[in-house]
Formats: sequence, C-alpha cells, structure tokens
Amino acid sequence: MKFQIPIGPQHPALKEPISIRLTVEGEVIKDADLRLGYNHRGVEKLAEEKSWIQNIYLCERICGICSHSHATCFVQGAEKLLEIEPPRRGVYLRYLVSELERIHSHLLWLGVAGHEAGFDTFFMYTWRDREVVMDLLEMISGNRVHYAINTLGGVRRDIDETLRGKILEGLAVLKARSEYYFKIGAAEPTFVARLAGVGPLTKQQAMDYCAVGPMARASGIDRDVRKNDPHDFYNEVEFDVATADSCDVLGRTIVRIKELFESYKICEQILQKLPDGPIAVKAPRRAKPGEVVSRYEAPRGENIHYIVANGSDKPERLKVRAPTLANYPATIEILKHGFIADVPLIFAAIDPCICCAERSVELVDARSGEERTLRFSDLRRMANDRARSLSLQRNVAWPL
Amino acid sequence: MKIAAFLPELFRHLFKKPATLDYPFKKIAVPKDFRGTPFLHPELCIVCKACERDCPAEAIEITSVNEAEKRFRMTIHNDRCIHCAQCVDSCPTTPVKAMEMDTLHEIAAFDRHDLKKSWEYVRALPKRPVATPAPVKPAAETAVKSGA
Repeated sequence: MKFQIPIGPQHPALKEPISIRLTVEGEVIKDADLRLGYNHRGVEKLAEEKSWIQNIYLCERICGICSHSHATCFVQGAEKLLEIEPPRRGVYLRYLVSELERIHSHLLWLGVAGHEAGFDTFFMYTWRDREVVMDLLEMISGNRVHYAINTLGGVRRDIDETLRGKILEGLAVLKARSEYYFKIGAAEPTFVARLAGVGPLTKQQAMDYCAVGPMARASGIDRDVRKNDPHDFYNEVEFDVATADSCDVLGRTIVRIKELFESYKICEQILQKLPDGPIAVKAPRRAKPGEVVSRYEAPRGENIHYIVANGSDKPERLKVRAPTLANYPATIEILKHGFIADVPLIFAAIDPCICCAERSVELVDARSGEERTLRFSDLRRMANDRARSLSLQRNVAWPL
Repeated sequence: MKIAAFLPELFRHLFKKPATLDYPFKKIAVPKDFRGTPFLHPELCIVCKACERDCPAEAIEITSVNEAEKRFRMTIHNDRCIHCAQCVDSCPTTPVKAMEMDTLHEIAAFDRHDLKKSWEYVRALPKRPVATPAPVKPAAETAVKSGA
C-alpha cells in the first residue's frame, strides 16, 4: 500500500518554505517530489530599486545565519563593477569575519545534528561554545547577527591590539572544545551508529546532481570556491579542503568538523599577517555598464550572485543563487531510498534554517484519503525510537 | 570505544557557574561599536540629505517646514530602522557627525508610532573642517542630552 506524505510548505525541518511530497511503501520512501516558490520575498526586484550601498544591507538580510556570505558575495561583485580595489587590511578583516561566521554556522549545525539524532547534550554544549564566536563577532562588528561590516571598497570597523588578543584567546578556547567534540564522536558509538549509512549520496550522484558545499565534499569531491575560484585573499593563506569518503550524514558531520579546524587555521593566519593601513576606500556612486558573476563559499556551499550594471547608481539585475537551492536535486535523490524516520536527519544534513512556522506533518492515506497530522516533535520521537530499537551497527567506526 | 564519554564533562558542570546571565536584573554591556538607534544633533545638520538617500530602510525623512527661515524637520521612523548605521557613515559633517548611534537596545514599544522621533531645526551652515573644533564640541554634548 502506498502512502503520500506531504512535508511543508511551512515546516521547521526545511530551510525555506518548500513542499516535499514523499510516496512511501511501508517505511521506505519510494519517490519524492519537490515544489518550490512559497517563499517569494521580492528581494531581486527590490534590489533593482535600491542603490549599490543600500543593496549591501538588503543582501545581508537574505539569510540570518550566513548574512555575511550574501553581503560579501554582493560586495565582491559590486566592487568589480565599480572598479575599486579595497585596501589589504579591509580585505583581511572582511574574510576574518567570513571565517568566524563559518565557525559559528558549523557549530550551530553540529548542535542541530546532535538534536535531530537525539543527542541533546551535544546540542547544548556546541551551542554554548558557539557563544564564544558570537561574542567575538559582536566585538568586531558591534552586533550579533547582521554584522554590517561590509561596505563598498572595504569594511566599516577596524580592530585594535586588545581585540586581536581577545580573538586569539577565543580561538584557542574554541579549538580545545572542537578537539573534544572530535574525540566524543569517536568515543560515542550510539551517535556514530545513528549517523552512519543515513542519506547515502555516491560521488557520481553528487557530480550528476551538482551538489555543493559539505554535501559534495562528504561524497569525496574536493569542490570549494576558496580553492577553485578564489578571491585573491585565499591564495595568501594556507588551508586544505576538508573531504570525507563515507558519502552519508556521518561524512557531512566529519567535513564540517574538519572545516572548523581549517577556519581556525585561516583566522590565526589572518591575525598574524594583518597588514597596516586604511580599511576602506571611497566608492563611486555609479557603475559603468557591465555584468559580473560573483562566487563565494558560504558555510552551506557555493553562493552565486549575478549582477548587471547599466550605468546608473542602481543594479539593473541581481540574481541570487543560494547554496541550498543547488542541493535540492541531490536531496531528492537521497530521500528516494531512505526511511521516513531519517527524513529529519537528512534535511538537517543539508543545513536548513529552522523557521518555526508549522509544526505538523500530515500523513495521507493515498487510497482512502484519510489524513493524520503529526507534529514535528512526534516525528523526531518516532525516528529516535526506531533508531533505539535497532541493534547497534557494530562495525562502524569514526573515520578519523 | 567507551559508552557515555560525556559523563566526566557532565559532572564537571555541576560545579560550574551558570553560563547565562540573570538578565532583567543584571545587564551586559554592549560592545564598543554597537549600533543602537540613530539620533540627530540638530544644530550640526546641514540638510545635505545624504542619510535620507542612503538609508536602506527609507526610515529617514527630511521635510522643509519654512523655506524662508530655512527650517527643516527630520523624522526618524524607528519602526522601519534596521540599525545598520549607514546614516552615520554617510553623514559628511566634520569633526562631529550630526547623526550618531546610541547604545540603547531595549527599544520595544506597544505602538509602532511611539517609536517615531523628530527634530525641527534651522539648517546649519557647512563649516570648514579646520575652523570648527573648538566651538562645536560643547554644542555636541548638549545635543546628546536633549536628543536622548
């Protein structure tokens, strides 16, 4: 007997309001169907009516977690169109905030993964440690969520020696904590067993469906904008692209933990090499006609802004491709052979925003049309009950 | 592999101080560069309207009250303000900016119209940056008191 389960359009498991219809046979998902277009905010149209400088703040508000990613992506492109070169110190500070944001985003994700796997202690600890990096960001930029540190031609806030010392202190704390989480993963067999083998995506599939970010890297593809098509800055620092070969949610966890260490490394190098000088140059108000594609490696994957200028003080077109959109086709493929019980974990693995809009999943009997509503917390409970009742996978190991 | 590797960490936390703050009773200081609510030093404003033009939220409104006397009214719609401080960056007055951010962060109100703030003033003349420092300073201090 086949059932159809609609998830969304408003659902806390999804980053944006999208609708996913799952056709299930028993517990196994046979087919998944994706519907987009519920979250039309008019950002792109609005961007055409705002000046270059106003658009930085608009782009910053596309996402609450990777706010700096969108702003930086836009500013990178806009600076090319306006033909200005930000000073070295400005660039260093901009990417310092980028890497700190990556740390905060990955720590947040680790907590969410722990929560979805029923490991709430892990969730509490990572989120407490995330406060350290949030405080650093607040000290640098002034605010916690929307840092508003970018401006056309540089950054708006400078750091001094005391703040530099504080950032290094904070990084030392975070490094120690991350190493502890690393060990916990290896020592906690229940956590590893829950994540291993869930949501398989082979290397070939990841290639075919153009997965980006940690999704692709967990399938063994070393695709990272910071290495492949980097801004000049990333050629000046040393870091590795974190990959894993296990092709499952465990691999995506590993990739993110490894990336944390790479980001600490980059931050330390930035603070060591921080050049002196001004932090910003004055930007013209009008850009010459032209177009630019700006790529940026956000914590969730590759972020693309396509900007067209027509010679006025406003962009003619701004197209935003957020990393989650690129990961949807791969997610559908993953879902096709999974269990309903793994749906929350698979969604969590693409790093969604929990938007707290609707907390129900409706189970519809495809034959009789009978409907049953489940809250998301029930679904999570069912998922974890199922995982608990299974015998432990004895042969899985922490792959590091 | 060992089971419950978290236990030592758990016990350690029994003897630690809470990570949270007793908020309404104890307040945490805001950082140096915190962006609160924008306010105006009316005697410094030269009505160049740079802040009005650059505000991403269109929260600043400058209207002319009396053309002959050069009286203007600036209204800041704090219900629309996104606290980005672009108005402060855009303000060209030197050495003290006519627009500034305060450090208040508990700014909730029951009615959005209560958040509106306005100033009526005579336009200041643009001054040369070198000649001004001494007379401007005390004026700025009084403005903070009346504006806050």
